[in-house]
Amino acid sequence: MTWTVFTISLRRLLHSPVELVLTFVVPVAFFSVFALIFSKGVGIGSTPKTKVAITAQVDNLAAQTLVDSLQSNDGLRMISLVDENDNDGPTPTPKAVAQAVRNGTIAIGINIRKDKQGELAVDLLTDSSDQVAPQVVTAIVARELAMLHAKLARTQQQPEVMRRPSLDSPTEKTVPIAVPSEIHNPAAAKSEVKASTVEQPFANSIHVVDVMGEGKSSPIVSLYAAGIAVMFLLFGASGGGGAFLEERENTTLDRLLSTQMSMDQLLLGKWFYLTALGFVQVTVMFIWGQVIFGVDLASHLDGFIMMTIVTSGAAASFGLLLATLCKSRGQLNGLSVILILTMSALGGSMVPRYVMSDGMRRAGQWTFNAWALDGYDKVFWRELPVHTLWPQLSVLMGAGVGFLLVARALAVRWELE
Amino acid sequence: MWALSPVGLVNGLPLEVVGLCKCFGKTEALRGASFELRQGERLALLGPNGAGKSTMIRTLAARSVPDKGEVRVFGEPGRSAVARQLIGWIPQDLAIYGDLTARENMMAFAKFHGVPRRELKQRVQWALQWTGLHDRANHLVRTFSGGMKRRVNLACGVLHQPKILLLDEPTVGVDPQSRQRIFEMLDELSAAGTSLLLTTHHLDEAQDRSDRLLIMDAGRIIADGTIDELVDQTVGRSRLVRLRLDRQIHSAFRLPHHLSNHSGVQDSGDSDMTRIIDRTVETRISDVDRQLTQLIDSVHRQGYHVVDLDVQALSLHHVFLHLTGNKLRD
Repeated sequence: MTWTVFTISLRRLLHSPVELVLTFVVPVAFFSVFALIFSKGVGIGSTPKTKVAITAQVDNLAAQTLVDSLQSNDGLRMISLVDENDNDGPTPTPKAVAQAVRNGTIAIGINIRKDKQGELAVDLLTDSSDQVAPQVVTAIVARELAMLHAKLARTQQQPEVMRRPSLDSPTEKTVPIAVPSEIHNPAAAKSEVKASTVEQPFANSIHVVDVMGEGKSSPIVSLYAAGIAVMFLLFGASGGGGAFLEERENTTLDRLLSTQMSMDQLLLGKWFYLTALGFVQVTVMFIWGQVIFGVDLASHLDGFIMMTIVTSGAAASFGLLLATLCKSRGQLNGLSVILILTMSALGGSMVPRYVMSDGMRRAGQWTFNAWALDGYDKVFWRELPVHTLWPQLSVLMGAGVGFLLVARALAVRWELE
Repeated sequence: MWALSPVGLVNGLPLEVVGLCKCFGKTEALRGASFELRQGERLALLGPNGAGKSTMIRTLAARSVPDKGEVRVFGEPGRSAVARQLIGWIPQDLAIYGDLTARENMMAFAKFHGVPRRELKQRVQWALQWTGLHDRANHLVRTFSGGMKRRVNLACGVLHQPKILLLDEPTVGVDPQSRQRIFEMLDELSAAGTSLLLTTHHLDEAQDRSDRLLIMDAGRIIADGTIDELVDQTVGRSRLVRLRLDRQIHSAFRLPHHLSNHSGVQDSGDSDMTRIIDRTVETRISDVDRQLTQLIDSVHRQGYHVVDLDVQALSLHHVFLHLTGNKLRD
């Protein structure tokens, strides 16, 4: 009996292509996606290049040497900034660099200046939503400062050499690099000018300044809320598409189309419903986030409404497209799980995109999630004015209209045999 | 009950079907099928599985486009908006929403069928009474029995007061009581002037509940008429006689020639109308008064006694098998 149960279970699996795909292909696909994210992103020692811009307030050899060494560092990618207010200087102003961090153009701004004692000091202007880049850049700048000091010491015939510790030379003097508390807990940053101190021989030389998290209560939660919301919008829309397929399978769709109703009306009705449902779903999630976790929904209502309507509409179109693409609910379940989880992984709903390699980030731009999350990021985190949302709104609206038109074209086959 | 005239369009025959052809790949589902449905008529469309009945019904409901041929509804093209308004379609599957109440289902389908808003409540109220579901109006349909679901399925197709009702096996899977109720509901519609076209595999239902019968096979209408006409055209007016004898019948047992080869029956390719199985003799006679006595006498003469006797008029069942054969179709 037990053997019979085993064999019939196996036979049923073999007779179901969708089950086979879900059982064997989906896990492999996901493993591949995450392997690509982490093998070409964080982990196993190959960190993605961090986008930075440098501004130098000091014009001497030491500062220029530091700038040169940072520019040639393999871990950093220099982004050229043009300060609209001040084009005179060779480097952008600290204000322009801070703004670039706020806009998300760069991950870290490096401001080289003199401290009160006239020594070189570096301010790292950071975005605390990115929890990796500040650690990486702090380590790189500390290393370059150590190298600079060593070079200066050699020049001045000083016997002690400060070098970064390595396994090859364990007896050399170590330079402990401690991570400032704000990096671990961005909410702890009180203001733009509040700086933390790196515990090392250049303790007063590197200051990490959070230019984003000031005055915000649990701001990072809004980003996670957006990530989860977008993923569930897609699952919800796919479920709505499934209901559509069920109607087709039990001939309710046939019956509806034999009435006065047209396929256009039917699809539009379903699209409006799924859009409205998605909007309410996301709104409920953010209201919960505001009440329990302190997400500041009330102050960002305009951007939230715009992003949520457009994202819900695009997700609804996506769900209808999947439904019209498939022949059965089983097929839809398999396809939607693969597509939605892959898009969520690539698009940043599961893993923040800043940990991904450039290639994976570019691939993420083809996903629905990435554009939606960028929009919510602008609204809740970067607090940019709503007109800056136009790229995200345009792409999502375009995708929504496109998906809906393709769904309509595919539904022609259901109108008439 | 409202007057069944939604658009006031009553021109010609309710339904005329001329030379319908429909292929699915290499399969010819309809091969030149033609018939008509008359005012207030109850027409049963019969046929073995795969005969093309469902394709025919779907084509009439404008859910399938014929490759050739024509459908006219009161003189209007079958796919026109007017025709849609005049036709109600009850699919074989339960094409209703299980997670809505009976009232919500009826309200939704009434709106889909274009029932004016001011008449919605009245129509739904009528349908609830008509189906006998008034007490369960606000219960979810998924909690209903099979028969109740069938009645809701039926009601959702008549809320717009169609002049023609197409029913694809409306009583499949329901108990005799529910079946009786459904046919009473259909009789009400028929009495109010609605023309009914129904497909069924229940031949007794078709015989008892319809005015005319169509038998379809291999995409064609192969018989069209009342039950009496079909019997006359096919198996004839003979009676089926079944005799059970007192013991196993010997191989030498013979009936008189004029009893074993029934003269009043059209040749169906199976001219020997007598069957002998164990203790039972089955044959057909055209004159009960004269031939039944001769049959019993013949049995006695061969040394047997009759222990039971059954005389039956030939039914639609016999006509159907006569026309479509005994071979399995699927």
